Amino acid sequence: MSGMLFTSMQWFMVFCAVVCTVRLVLGPTAADRLVALNVMSGIVLAFLVLRGVQQGRHIYLDVALVYDIFGFLGFLAIARFLKDRLEHEEES
Amino acid sequence: MTAMMIREVLAACIFAAAVLFGTAGVIGLFRFPDPYSRLQASALCGTTAVLTTCVGALLLAPSWAVASRVIVIIIFFLFSAPTGSHIVARFAWNAGTPVWRPDRLRTLKGRRKAP
Repeated sequence: MSGMLFTSMQWFMVFCAVVCTVRLVLGPTAADRLVALNVMSGIVLAFLVLRGVQQGRHIYLDVALVYDIFGFLGFLAIARFLKDRLEHEEES
Repeated sequence: MTAMMIREVLAACIFAAAVLFGTAGVIGLFRFPDPYSRLQASALCGTTAVLTTCVGALLLAPSWAVASRVIVIIIFFLFSAPTGSHIVARFAWNAGTPVWRPDRLRTLKGRRKAP
């Protein structure tokens, strides 16, 4: 029973990720794309946690934690890059 | 055997809640007109659904080593996800993305001059 639970949840996470990619591509403004990125990093984290607990290997959960940390740092860098590019655009 | 059964039933209910939150958030991502309201939908889908999934996985964890790591992940995720949403909101506001108002056009193309 728990195996079926895990696989169905993982398929649901894949569905959410695909929908968020559509939002990422469609998003008119840059803020929408950042919103989609924020959601996707959370969804991939949930997928990794589900996978790790299903296999019972705790090494996958360390990967999930490091992914979350770097995803957050990457997200910070992207938002900062967009902000600097915006200020540069407004000056010129 | 019953302890495992109870945990599976509980995890099934929590996963059902996660699916509910996920679909509501995803629908909101497409229904809402401007990035600020989409942020709320994304927080619903990107934070609540992930949190309930991790709690559900915590219930089904086979050993304490796995369960403790999932708890650490949940705690860190509670820090990073809302901060991410805050960063997006600040960026959208500083970038001058126009706020949707009922009298405005349905789709937003223009940019506000001064925030």
